[in-house]
Amino acid sequence: MRRRSRLDIWTFVLVAAWGILIALLIWPLSSILRSSLLDNDTGAFSLVHYFQIATIKAYQRAVGNTLLAGFGGMTGALLLGVTLAFLTTRFHIYGRALIQTLAVVALVSPPFIGAYSWIVLFGASGVVRKGLDAIGISIPPLYGAAGVILVFAFKFFPHVFLITSGALASINRSVEEAAESLGVSPTKRLFTVTFPLILPAISASALLTFVLSIADFGTPRIIGRDFNVLATEAFNLYGSEVGGNPGMASALSIVLIVLSMIIVFGQRWVLRKNVYHSNMIKKPERKQVRGFKAVGVHVLAYAIVLIGALPAIIVVLFSFRRTSGPVFQPGVSLQSYERVISTISDPIWNTLIFSSTAVVAIVITGTLIGYLISRRPGIATGALDAILMVPYVVPGIVMGIAFITRFNEPPLALTGTGLIIVMAVFIRRLPYSARSVAAALKQVGPNLEDAAVSLGYSPGKAFVKVTVPLILPGIMAGALMSFITAMNELSSSLVLYVGSTITMPVRIYLSVMDGEYGTASALSTILLAMTVTAVYAAFHLSGRKESALL
Amino acid sequence: MADLKIQGLAKSYKDVRVLENIDLDIASGEFFTLLGPSGCGKTTLLRTIAGFQHQDRGEIIVNGQRIDHKPAHKRDIGMVFQDYAIFPHLSVADNVAFGLKARSLPKGEIEARVNESLKMVRLDGYQDRLPGEMSGGQQQRIGLARAMAIRPTLLLMDEPLSNLDAKLRIELREDIRDIQRRLGITTIYVTHDQEEALAVSDRICVMNKGNIEQIGTPFEIYRKPLRRFAASFVGTMNFLPGQLEGGRLRVGSQSIDYPVDASGCVEVAIRPENVALASAPLQEGMVALKGEVLKITFLGREAHYTLRTEAGEIVAQVADPAQDFIGMEGRAVEVRLPLQKLVLFHPNGDVLDAGQAR
Repeated sequence: MRRRSRLDIWTFVLVAAWGILIALLIWPLSSILRSSLLDNDTGAFSLVHYFQIATIKAYQRAVGNTLLAGFGGMTGALLLGVTLAFLTTRFHIYGRALIQTLAVVALVSPPFIGAYSWIVLFGASGVVRKGLDAIGISIPPLYGAAGVILVFAFKFFPHVFLITSGALASINRSVEEAAESLGVSPTKRLFTVTFPLILPAISASALLTFVLSIADFGTPRIIGRDFNVLATEAFNLYGSEVGGNPGMASALSIVLIVLSMIIVFGQRWVLRKNVYHSNMIKKPERKQVRGFKAVGVHVLAYAIVLIGALPAIIVVLFSFRRTSGPVFQPGVSLQSYERVISTISDPIWNTLIFSSTAVVAIVITGTLIGYLISRRPGIATGALDAILMVPYVVPGIVMGIAFITRFNEPPLALTGTGLIIVMAVFIRRLPYSARSVAAALKQVGPNLEDAAVSLGYSPGKAFVKVTVPLILPGIMAGALMSFITAMNELSSSLVLYVGSTITMPVRIYLSVMDGEYGTASALSTILLAMTVTAVYAAFHLSGRKESALL
Repeated sequence: MADLKIQGLAKSYKDVRVLENIDLDIASGEFFTLLGPSGCGKTTLLRTIAGFQHQDRGEIIVNGQRIDHKPAHKRDIGMVFQDYAIFPHLSVADNVAFGLKARSLPKGEIEARVNESLKMVRLDGYQDRLPGEMSGGQQQRIGLARAMAIRPTLLLMDEPLSNLDAKLRIELREDIRDIQRRLGITTIYVTHDQEEALAVSDRICVMNKGNIEQIGTPFEIYRKPLRRFAASFVGTMNFLPGQLEGGRLRVGSQSIDYPVDASGCVEVAIRPENVALASAPLQEGMVALKGEVLKITFLGREAHYTLRTEAGEIVAQVADPAQDFIGMEGRAVEVRLPLQKLVLFHPNGDVLDAGQAR
């Protein structure tokens, strides 16, 4: 009888989930591994590409630059994020809601908008740079490694901020008071008690920002100039009509994935015995500070979030400026919007349609898989959970290349369709949804379902009647977050799009590359407005919890 | 009204045997308690009866019919959970009506039964509240009302009071007992709290490591333990090493007539309230030991004297202690163990049949 009850709908879900992951993840990615190991001309097995990566200077530099961008972006984001989290959880700061809102704006604005806005301000003909030049202060234009790292730091710090302020706010105050009563000074306490306690949160956000930094394609492309990283090299080698080298592009992709995986395992190693459980008794309280210290605290906190949100603000302002061709003119006008509406409204519709389709699929599949992971432990589900880690470490560019090589020939000739773009977004975002549902389910005790069963409901009905209503707000908030990331997806779409399936991020990227800053600003503003609407809805559904964004 | 029979029930998780060959016979209307330390298998047994877990072997029979092949939701068994398991998204009335709706009862009947059940647990008037606004004690009352509203054949309670504070625990356990008596519903109650078990049960089943140690009324379990485990787990018990030889029992340097056939090492057990201190006159049939007062714990209506004797440390309980009790600490004292209050255990944990010696 136990055997029979196991063979229920969840067995079917398990099989289907494996089917999806094999078809959309393992099979496409295997093509990358395969072509990285084949000689382009002879088609024979060869390690020539990896050998070249190790010996050719340009590739060595790409690896080095990728690591530099990764660790630089991570360090910058950690410094900014942890500082801000500490300031807002430990000191009384006026306008805390505003700070959080600005951090969220920085978080959800499309990643490459940051790069573009920094160029507008500090580029070769940047507004600020020229202004400073006029009064005799000369600073170099912001291109190359410094620019990339700066953009990453201010782009990704909100992740660190949201994760660590959650952890900081849930440290039992008595623990810190105990340290104090034992004669430890506040500064020493910070490093001996507080930071070790939030190490899991810090290392998780370090991992996230590192992986995001090395996977980012738009930023180094726009602001990096000759600062080549693995993602841009792979894209160039794959995409160029002349001198394309798919084998090499694949090998670079594999190196990129391996780098991410090393960091993932590194984080696990750091955390191998650092899991602390503590019963929340007293929440930490915010200290009221006065005088210079208060001014310093406020200046620091506001500076971080304002600079972080600056790109979004700049883009909105510039979208209303008069332009003539690529050059901004004095005065206010709606002509950029007019041009967007009259000539290039397709990307808007494509973005909305693709994102909605992907989100519906993500929510349904993610909820079912999340349930499997948290409620039906076993070897098959455990392996499923592990495989779901893979999309976290596969950059969008790589996923795009994998899809285009696998789904290029009949019967699966999907290249150039909207479906392939949707599928790429789907598989990239599925793990987030499944994981968040699994986490939400852990909050709903299994006893609730048992109670419903004891009152006469079958297990299936108990799930629908009790569990689903309880995790629904979480599912909806997660769906909106998936929607936001789907709308802002650049890297995989850039590989997969054709003229008729172009999306807003791709259009913006192309406009920036062509120097059409007016159009880019207007489109970015529209995208930003759509994103902010979705964020607002997500907040509303989840009871205004910033953690819904993670 | 239903009786429950369990025959040869066994269950293992991988290599660990959680339940070994459990046999139980519970009468209709009985309040039956499974008592034991955590990990003894009591909750597994309860959840197996409920149908949330499945036995490897054995039968569960309610009213002469096997129910172990039925899925949990068709067993018609009410369950009360340790963490209340109140549906946080439903009002109090909807929580109680939840099981009634599964049975597709007419609307009027549902409302009547909800009101009746809430009145029973003294939550009348709270119908429209959300559980989040209510205290732990109130939530568990909802849990009880919800389980009783379906008029189940059996009521199972899994440590329902262990998340509540001491005062509420006593108040609610009295209510549970009263309601159970009034409705006469067969109830199986799981707890690790021996005082709670003694207070509410008709019969107690003491469990340890997946085995039944002893089944009996609260009086039998407390006064006539059959196993060393039951004696030590329920209430406080002093154990002293002893020796049986040629019809005499030796404790420390003392030896006294104890006409039983057995011989060899034994453990001599006595409850603290049966240990008498020096002032009592030495009578026939008492073991007298020389001792010293190590520590006195004053508890108001009684005091506990920790004594060092020649045979080992024991605790004596003195009711209504006099004012000068503190001065006793460090003083020598005569300790007397009345023979008819002693229980002897074999080294294997079985009680020694005292027979004519008592």
